[in-house]
Amino acid sequence: MLRRHAVISALLIVGFAAVPARSARRPRYGGTLRVEMGASVASLDPDVTAATPEEAAAKSQIDSLIFDQRNADGNFAGAAGSGAFRVTAFEAGKRAVLAANEEFREGRPFVDAVEIGMGRGAHERLVDLELSKTDLTEIAPQDARRAAEQGVRVSISQPDELLALVFAPVTTRPNTAVAASANLSGQALSLAIDRVAIVNFILQKTGEAAGGLLPQWSSGTAFLFPAAAAPTAADLTHAKELWKEIAPSGALVLGYDSADPLEQSVAERIVVNAKEAGMAVRAQAISGAGAGAEKSRGVAGQATRVDLQMVRWRMTSPLPGDALKDFLARIYAGPLAGVEVAAFPATASPEDIYQQQRAVLNTYRVVPLVWLPQVYGLSARVRDWKAPGPGENWPLADVWLDAETPTPTGIQ
Amino acid sequence: MRPPRRIPLAIRVAVFTILAGLSLGMTAQASHAQATSTLPKSWTGAVAKLADEAAAAMSPTVVRLDVENTSSLDVAHVGLIGAALREQLQRHSFAFGSANSTATQSPLQLLLTLSESNTEYVWVMEVVNDSGDAASIPMMMVSVSKSALTEAEPGEQSLSLEKRFVWKQRERFLDFALLKDSSSGQILLLILKTKSLDIYKPSGPGWQLSRSTPIPQMAALPRDSEGTIGLKEGKIWFKGFECVGDPDLTGVVQCKISPPNHLIVDRTRIPGLPNSLGTLVYGECRGETISVYSGEGDWTQTDFLQGYLISLNPFLAVAVGDAIQVRGPVISLQSERDTSAARAVVHNLTTGEYEAYIVTATCGN
Repeated sequence: MLRRHAVISALLIVGFAAVPARSARRPRYGGTLRVEMGASVASLDPDVTAATPEEAAAKSQIDSLIFDQRNADGNFAGAAGSGAFRVTAFEAGKRAVLAANEEFREGRPFVDAVEIGMGRGAHERLVDLELSKTDLTEIAPQDARRAAEQGVRVSISQPDELLALVFAPVTTRPNTAVAASANLSGQALSLAIDRVAIVNFILQKTGEAAGGLLPQWSSGTAFLFPAAAAPTAADLTHAKELWKEIAPSGALVLGYDSADPLEQSVAERIVVNAKEAGMAVRAQAISGAGAGAEKSRGVAGQATRVDLQMVRWRMTSPLPGDALKDFLARIYAGPLAGVEVAAFPATASPEDIYQQQRAVLNTYRVVPLVWLPQVYGLSARVRDWKAPGPGENWPLADVWLDAETPTPTGIQ
Repeated sequence: MRPPRRIPLAIRVAVFTILAGLSLGMTAQASHAQATSTLPKSWTGAVAKLADEAAAAMSPTVVRLDVENTSSLDVAHVGLIGAALREQLQRHSFAFGSANSTATQSPLQLLLTLSESNTEYVWVMEVVNDSGDAASIPMMMVSVSKSALTEAEPGEQSLSLEKRFVWKQRERFLDFALLKDSSSGQILLLILKTKSLDIYKPSGPGWQLSRSTPIPQMAALPRDSEGTIGLKEGKIWFKGFECVGDPDLTGVVQCKISPPNHLIVDRTRIPGLPNSLGTLVYGECRGETISVYSGEGDWTQTDFLQGYLISLNPFLAVAVGDAIQVRGPVISLQSERDTSAARAVVHNLTTGEYEAYIVTATCGN
């Protein structure tokens, strides 16, 4: 018996398993990772300000690859090339080539280089993925399911971007009749909107109905803000009653980003929902709003009167307290400007976080609609890609390329 | 009877070396993990708080408690939490009835939802009876740390792999070891990082950093650094270089370029065994050699550890017993000397922390 054991051990030890096995999961070094972006970055100079929020976001992604550290304001800083990669070629608005930094503090990246194509449209990027002309690119959430069905390998993050309606700030004092009327508008609209249909039909089930300001995976209390059911007949009746109380002079004008097909589809759907509840709402495209531009600009200040606007707010942290603080800063500078802000504890408990959300949502000046994930299309050879969470950047230093083993397509 | 197969000299030498190594060496095994069948203390406190809040919000009455679990807690823990809450409510003079109770007073329905955020378990108790009184009773909420469960998690049984939590930290580490200090007799915890060897001493229920020994870098740092601790040899092996402690690993560490070590080399795939991390474990079961392997996923996926029994004639590797799940990829798996166990380092994808476990394989009924 002992001899048999020894023979097995010997075979395993000498032949292969005396050692911790090295597997397919072990990363390999080498290769060029091809990435495509929708935005165009005009300059990588830290002193040059991006022209649009999309460009700023794309520049931040590249900065995260070439700089080692962030400033206190969240921007990347230090010497270019101190990060995982250094820039070896740059054509403004078109292309950037990054080479692996052999001396990177956290270890050399697995890929030798990253080639970034910029200014590629959503359709072009999908086609390039299908033709294996690129390895990694962003996909709009509403296109995720179709892409997967067409054989594209899709990576979906946890839902971390809130699509919501925010009402214009009430310029009079919060307790006036004007403010009360605005609040009733929000409540009526919130009752009438069919979030489930938005998720199922517009987003093709790539997203979640939102009732609160934080997703369930982050806060653990989103179930206390139920939104996962279509409006009932009672909801619509209640919405009609509220709308009658308001007796508005005209239709509510709902602004959306004219460059965002998702916002347009959702806005049009809300108009239909509102009509079913006897409410008059008109969708209005706003040019140049861009992702996050509301976004900074708010609903006030538009040339066209807009009563409420659609916004997309991405969480800045997976931690519910930190993410909510960021959202509250936007809310109390926008739809709830002038409203007294309740103290937010430095170390907020889940109950504190729940109560803060409840305080905002009870005003109906912010109406959550859906939670959106970040969606990425990957080529078959990309390994160890993990969709970045809130506040994270693309983990390209960890990604490696495997030319040998084909990977099944589909959603992961 | 078939004559025994003659073992080539080279193999015999290798076997002798490895088995001798397995039979000698490290002495002490210790883990500060808790493995209990009861709730962690902080959880019991949270349950008591919920009952206290219920008692403050309403007069003692007949209640019915339903528990809904939307978190990652397993059935056993859900049952323990529900039972603990019932017990606490009874201490506050609440009585339990059922929905079909024939008592004159229909029970007040309490719903305990076991939820979770990305950092904590969140437990919410609501009164769900459709009455005006119920609506006036506020929702009650408590939260408890997930780490309490990690430390107390009982090892899943089977061919019998059992994991015991030893350590966790935010920064990546490559290997760990428990060492009995020859001078003080204390158990020391060694945590091997890419650039240092951290030595911890026991401090109450946990560990306190005693010293951090820098490891001279002999080559550019790869992103998938590997290293392992050899306590008996007083060495640390990295890819391409090795370090020696003077007089042992608790002292100064000096490094030199070295040929590939048998613990840090690439290997080919073994038919019948997963293409993943694996190691032999000292001892045998059913007369066969025990080994432990991780799953075949990549570093973005949760993982598991599975026991295998390996026989030679014919060569056969069979997974035996249940796998034990871990909350992220196993990034290192090394055999423990002198005991049927392995050291596993896991990157917990939920918390982002790196965790050290001793995984013990037990052969029994």
